[in-house]
Amino acid sequence: MSLLKVGNISKSFKTLQVLQNVSVEVQPGERHVIIGPNGAGKTTLFNCITNVLSIDSGTVYLEGQEISHLPSRKLVHLGMSRTFQKNNLFGNLTVEENLHLALTSTKSYRYQIFNALLKHEDLKKDTDEVLEQWGISSRRNVKVNFLSYGEQRLLEVLLAMAAKPKLLLLDEPTSGMSPAETIQTAEMIKKLPRSVSILIIEHDMEVVFSIADKITVLHHGEVILSGTPEEVRNNEQVRQIYFGGGAKAHA
Amino acid sequence: MKKNLLIMFLLLIAAAALPFIVSEYGINLAAEICIMAIFAMSLGLIMGYAGMVSLGHAAFFGIGSYTVTILGSHLSNFYLLILGSIVLSGLVALITGAIFIRTSKFYFLMITLAFGQLLFALTWQLKDLTGGADGMKISSTMNLGFGDIVSPLGIYFVMAGAAILVYIFLRFFVHSPAGKIIKGVMENESRMKALGYDPRIYKLLAYSVSGALAGFSGSLYGYFNLFISPDLTNWMFSGQVMIMVIIGGVGTLIGPAIGAGLFIFLQNFISTYTERWPLIMGLLLVILVIVGKGGIIHWFDLLRSKIFYRRSQKRMEYAQNHAQKEEVTN
Repeated sequence: MSLLKVGNISKSFKTLQVLQNVSVEVQPGERHVIIGPNGAGKTTLFNCITNVLSIDSGTVYLEGQEISHLPSRKLVHLGMSRTFQKNNLFGNLTVEENLHLALTSTKSYRYQIFNALLKHEDLKKDTDEVLEQWGISSRRNVKVNFLSYGEQRLLEVLLAMAAKPKLLLLDEPTSGMSPAETIQTAEMIKKLPRSVSILIIEHDMEVVFSIADKITVLHHGEVILSGTPEEVRNNEQVRQIYFGGGAKAHA
Repeated sequence: MKKNLLIMFLLLIAAAALPFIVSEYGINLAAEICIMAIFAMSLGLIMGYAGMVSLGHAAFFGIGSYTVTILGSHLSNFYLLILGSIVLSGLVALITGAIFIRTSKFYFLMITLAFGQLLFALTWQLKDLTGGADGMKISSTMNLGFGDIVSPLGIYFVMAGAAILVYIFLRFFVHSPAGKIIKGVMENESRMKALGYDPRIYKLLAYSVSGALAGFSGSLYGYFNLFISPDLTNWMFSGQVMIMVIIGGVGTLIGPAIGAGLFIFLQNFISTYTERWPLIMGLLLVILVIVGKGGIIHWFDLLRSKIFYRRSQKRMEYAQNHAQKEEVTN
């Protein structure tokens, strides 16, 4: 059974049809990349999957459970987390406090009004683990606004990973990064355990082909092709979209 | 933490020693300051930790004071009356808050203002219950279980004790998991949703706790002043407490309490010299807000860093060296 099954969803903003009968399937453990020129509807697709935007028609299943009408906050508890194209962090809080907030969302004591948050040893342990694993222990007490852009992008992913999701939706994790940072991020994504499936929007073709098991090409809100990296590389229509036919090459 | 304990200890000594330094008038004033400090801290909680700016907070103060007054004519147990007004104002906050938190920013300000004025109109119109514009006298006296407390000194100690209790409670509250999450919601609500939280639950929690504490301060005010009137629910009063919070320091717990102290003190001090005290008070507030950005509480920090100049300078040097080392290793 596929982990995520998006079936024929459509979405329009007034007269503008943004998504048209889009279907995507993600298998357990898969790294599935969505590519497409600007305005193809990639982020809208993410917003529809996570029900930030309501879909006009179609279905979304997570592990066989229909989720298209569940509020986005509930999806986290079902095992689906996402990141944002633009950094969406707690800028006035420290790195550590950001992680605390992310890690507490699945703890049973998240409604407690006594017993200081920091007295919970498991939270401290989890936080230290994340900080050490990603080598940012020295930055733990730095306010997020003072982090470098690349570090902020990393934290963006770490916050989504905190709930230990089965499926991670990454919205352009390398956007706005320097080439060095982009390589680092690609390495980081490769380091994520295979117990997590990843659906990822990405522009940088080098990154795409280095991590993808499967690629779905979106163009004008429609799926052009869904296949292995080889199939996509050799597809004439995809080449047309990216390198010819008036559309500017992106990435 | 040690520093905080020291400050707490000094405050406690100051609170205990105060009545032996000042006159009876001063003791009365100090008791009023304690009550207003509770009220200001309750508003400071939602303003500084949940990002909800309310212009109708006097409604809960009014509910608290009218509850002890109206119920007090049938019932004399101090604890029951206080508990009753806390529960009632908390409940009203819970129910109305469930609607109000669907709005934010200016709309929240407007809807709480409307709610406050609605309650003001009710206390004005329900003459049989509230005495209307004539106000009401409170008939029961304060009795904590060891005789009536009528002396200004006794009343002061009760109010000071209550203010300290509320402060300790709020300290626990803002450091609790729910308290931290409330602050997260203020910082970035959409991300909190994406992390799997329901922001509405946490906003409502903060609003209800704040309403209940405002009700608590209102009920104490009833015992203190022995007379209450619809003015206690008016938006002018909501505005005053908002000023206390802002001049004291939004985003801290003790700031609003300090703001309340300064406000009440200035109000009484200036009004002994001139009837036109609001004019001078207004001017002072404008200066305070412009000069004391972030509130008076930050002046204390400044003062402390001046007194402990050498130590803080050493710390700065250490931090700078540390930062440089980090850069090198990176």
